[in-house]
Amino acid sequence: MIGTLLFVAFIALMLLGVPIGAALGLAGAAAIALANAGTQWFGLLAVPQNFYAGLGKYPLLAIPMFVLLGSIFDRSGVALRLVNFAIAIVGRGPGMLPVVAIVVAMFLGGISGSGPANAAAVGSVMIAAMARAGYPPAFAASVVGAAAATDILIPPSVAFIVYSVLVSGASVPALFAAGMIPGVLAGLALIVPTVWIARRHGMGQLEASLPKPPFWASFRDAIWGLAAPVLILGGMRAGWFTPTEAAVVAVFYGLFVGMVIHRTMTVRDLFPILRESGELSAIILLVVALAGIFAYSLSTLGLIDPVTKAIVNSGLGEYGVLSLLILMLIVVGMFLDGVSIFLIFVPLLMPIVIHYRWDPVWFGVLLTLKVALGQFTPPLAVNLMVSCRIAGVRMEETVRWVGWMLVSMFLVMVLVIVFPELALWLPRKLGY
Amino acid sequence: MTPPLDAPPETPVGPDAVHDPADYHEKTVVSLRIEDWLTVIVMGLLALITFANVLVRYFTDQSFAWTEEFSVFLMIVLALVAGSASVARNRQIRIEYFADGGSAERQRLLARFGAFMVFLLFALMAVLSARVVYDHIVYGETTPGIGVPQWWYSIWLPVMSVAIALRALGLFVRRGRRS
Repeated sequence: MIGTLLFVAFIALMLLGVPIGAALGLAGAAAIALANAGTQWFGLLAVPQNFYAGLGKYPLLAIPMFVLLGSIFDRSGVALRLVNFAIAIVGRGPGMLPVVAIVVAMFLGGISGSGPANAAAVGSVMIAAMARAGYPPAFAASVVGAAAATDILIPPSVAFIVYSVLVSGASVPALFAAGMIPGVLAGLALIVPTVWIARRHGMGQLEASLPKPPFWASFRDAIWGLAAPVLILGGMRAGWFTPTEAAVVAVFYGLFVGMVIHRTMTVRDLFPILRESGELSAIILLVVALAGIFAYSLSTLGLIDPVTKAIVNSGLGEYGVLSLLILMLIVVGMFLDGVSIFLIFVPLLMPIVIHYRWDPVWFGVLLTLKVALGQFTPPLAVNLMVSCRIAGVRMEETVRWVGWMLVSMFLVMVLVIVFPELALWLPRKLGY
Repeated sequence: MTPPLDAPPETPVGPDAVHDPADYHEKTVVSLRIEDWLTVIVMGLLALITFANVLVRYFTDQSFAWTEEFSVFLMIVLALVAGSASVARNRQIRIEYFADGGSAERQRLLARFGAFMVFLLFALMAVLSARVVYDHIVYGETTPGIGVPQWWYSIWLPVMSVAIALRALGLFVRRGRRS
């Protein structure tokens, strides 16, 4: 009874546009108060305690640091130089510029940890470049939005950090390693429909006439950006730093590159960078903290067990349940962002994962793939919002292009379900 | 350095270009610069402490792991302080699909409802966490890492909850005015 109320109140508040954190906190508090009506203060002292406990975890510190890192690399001028270098390699053939956008977004995925930051960095360079070469702005926005979604799969990734905090059996290094192959596959999967669409519709006719940057000069300019993922991923692999420390080392590296080497930033830029990334982190962290209250009320009310039993005994079988979960998450993902999906659903789904003995790392990669798809599935597509704003188009105009990219990346998810080794081979090989 | 062939657009890039500039300049009675400066200072400190940790461990083989406790505290302060600014600017994550559709009157009503719910939650949080702090002081609890009184840390939850509640109330009032 109280359980039903918890969910009805939560869903109603959310649909009415109440901030998700507030909806989680209020529904959780209401359920706790009703369940403990007889006790002192209605048991509500658990509310601030769980708020504090939900937030007071050292691994979460990686979130503000990776958000800061994304914001700095966004302004460091690295994206532009990587683009020039990529053009020097692949040349100016028809449909090549979208390929460059995807490859650079994947590469920046090895530096930044969030999709929208990646879409901003790649979009600010590539959307104008594609427009000059004769690609329709809506197509350019679709390519950038979809390509930036590979960011949360390719390590480092804020999504994996949140998942790791929620699931004790999945360490950050293991998740980072597990995301590598599916992330690269997702990027490659995007290239196929993109090139096909570009050629079929005769886009980018002007591209062949644009100048090609000289190889060595553009390589020399791009070297600082090329070295960044080596520093971050290599440093973590070598055991020099924890994920949080890797982010901070890369922050100072990015500041050095932006201020001293490329001179795209000055000290005055630090204030807006720190303010914006601080606020963005706080928005995420507040939802994390308030979800702690919701999760506490879920567990104390004993709600999860009966739901798990009902699902497990539904006769759908392992893959039936998995398909149902993915279908449900795709629908939910049209309205909810990735971090909120993790915070709300991971505590609910973990007993099912344990029942079927699914590998928690594999399941984390699947969920993240799902969230990556959601980042460019209209109407709530955070990456597309960013790229459409840069391109100056409405999101509806992208629908005719993103559909093919969604299908293509969805097939990668099917592959990871059928062949779990795609995710699990690398972390095992690296010994995580 | 060779001149870039594909020059970036003239518009400013980065998060300020991504987010609607209008919500950065939200007009409030109490200036948001208070939260903004605190946010900048705390973010800077977090980065510097963590970086110092790496350097010290690299050069001296020692780690000052006790800074972990302080860093976690700073992160909580960040969530509350910058969170307060994000409440005033109405930038919380929410489902906009229904709330931002329909008539202007409906949108205004739902915006006010959302702001009021945030106010309600943090007003409740202020009262409850003040009670927790009271316990910390009465029982003289100390922190596990550095061993300072627990209330030095926990006092900021009720204080900042009041601030967030007031910011939500301010938003509630501003969204009530007809523009």
